[in-house]
Amino acid sequence: MTTTPTRNGSGVRGKRIEIDRLSKHFGAFKAVDELSFAVEPGRITGFLGPNGAGKTTTLRMLLGLISPTSGTALIDGQTYAHLADPAGTVGAALEATGFHPGRSGRNHLRTIAAAAGIPDSRVDQVLELTGIPAAADQRAGGYSMGMRQRLGLSAALLGDPDVLILDEPANGLDPEGIRWLRGFLRHLAGEGRTILISSHMLSEVEQTIDDLVIIANGRLVTSGPMADLSGGHGCQIRTSDPDRLIGALRIADVTARVEGDHIVADTTDLRLVGDVALRAGLPIWELREKNSELEKLYFSLTEGTNRNLGSPGAVSAPAERDAITGQEGANG
Amino acid sequence: MLRAIRSEFLKYFTTRLWWGMAIAIVASAVLFTVFFAFVFVELMPETTPDTMPPMEPVQLANSVYTAGLQVGYLLLLTIGVLQIGSEYRHKTITATFLANPRRMQALLAKAVALVGIAILNGLLSIVASTAVGALMLQLLGSDPWPSNEILRTLALSLLVLAVWALIGLGIGILIPNQVAALLIAVGVAWIVEPLVTFGLGFWEWAAQNVVQYLPTQATSAVINTIDSGTGAARLSWWGGSLVLVAYALVLAGLGIWRATREDVG
Repeated sequence: MTTTPTRNGSGVRGKRIEIDRLSKHFGAFKAVDELSFAVEPGRITGFLGPNGAGKTTTLRMLLGLISPTSGTALIDGQTYAHLADPAGTVGAALEATGFHPGRSGRNHLRTIAAAAGIPDSRVDQVLELTGIPAAADQRAGGYSMGMRQRLGLSAALLGDPDVLILDEPANGLDPEGIRWLRGFLRHLAGEGRTILISSHMLSEVEQTIDDLVIIANGRLVTSGPMADLSGGHGCQIRTSDPDRLIGALRIADVTARVEGDHIVADTTDLRLVGDVALRAGLPIWELREKNSELEKLYFSLTEGTNRNLGSPGAVSAPAERDAITGQEGANG
Repeated sequence: MLRAIRSEFLKYFTTRLWWGMAIAIVASAVLFTVFFAFVFVELMPETTPDTMPPMEPVQLANSVYTAGLQVGYLLLLTIGVLQIGSEYRHKTITATFLANPRRMQALLAKAVALVGIAILNGLLSIVASTAVGALMLQLLGSDPWPSNEILRTLALSLLVLAVWALIGLGIGILIPNQVAALLIAVGVAWIVEPLVTFGLGFWEWAAQNVVQYLPTQATSAVINTIDSGTGAARLSWWGGSLVLVAYALVLAGLGIWRATREDVG
């Protein structure tokens, strides 16, 4: 988190995404089930869920590639197919594998640019932006996963879009690449663009995103700004006289409250808490950083309610193995 | 629409497929022209003196100039299948429909581009086969240009190539697995249909009323090649053209109709 997130959408160019009671059923299977959320301009929104939660299906419905069973998915109040200038409004990178292996990266982008009425000069620009101008003339079949991600991102940026939709953009990037991506997305959001990125790993995106939407089994679990959801950072203290320590902490500008048999303070500066307690002459029986509620929540989701793994606790070893194999086949 | 067509031409000319196909089409035109000219002029009059009707010079020239077409239309069928099949296989169909969410337009652009690609390849093939064929006929003592009907045949050979490319497009959509689509398309045209034709030849009614409407037979009718002597009825050149165009419209139409509705996952 190097820069302050742009609150309340300072930019004018961003467009709002609205998903309203969106459903997609494949036979009896409800891939997406009455899902509603909104994505605000000027912010990076993380779209999280375990593999098979319905993320990709939702994004494909938003982009008009899959027709919803019911509900709507609108960008700037329109379905994707009805946008006046689709490529200039929305850029999307859905799959790292969507290239003809015998065509060069540059020519891949040229075929898309031609269809969207974008001049070839823009192709060179986006290749510079994503840092792959040198490799662009080689055939895409030889690209590494990271190169494919960058080429996919290049394609998404061709129309200089107001809305950017990226499906698992960090997949296959090395740590250096992930840091680059984080800065790049932050820069784009700073220009007022709407950015929606999906991931199945919270840790991969939690430092990048402003807002969070979590889904599981095709349904919304929670959504909101990261700051609200993560419940702030804090620490947990146990001492002999909680009220006296809370008073002492207040003098040191730290708010704290009693929760059960311990105190929760809104700081992660454990040394400060220790010093305050020493000065107040109070013993420290326990002092530790509090686990993020969000992390716990997400962990419980990926562990327990993932439909691909069956009901928790009721799986025998072979069934579990089958279920995990099944999960590999499914795609978020 | 023009943008979408330009994109489709770019897709074709930015992989190695296009020059591989161009070489194959020119090579087959040259080889088959030389071979057929030799067989028809030198060998056939001696081996079948009485059983066959005397060969018309026009049919002879038509057959020599369009000899490569027997392979050429299968190559265009392949190109048609690949133009859409490779999009499914490599998942570029997603990028295609994102760049142009009006699917009907994007797919019609594919059809128009395929007609253009067929005509380009056809012109290459005609230049090669007429140059080599005229030389061969001259050398073998036959009239290389007995009638201007040959011009009609050459023009219609372009139509034949375009129509088979569109049939390929239809099959490529209806059978989304590229390899299966190719095997089935070429297998039906080259193996199944000749066997069916042969089998139906033993059934008088079918030989007179069915066989002529099969795609390969209709193709032979359009370019008026030498009759293979099965005794089956044959359509006129315009009748054959209409039958072929109907095949293309039905198959490509069904394919495009389906692809505009289908989920792209």
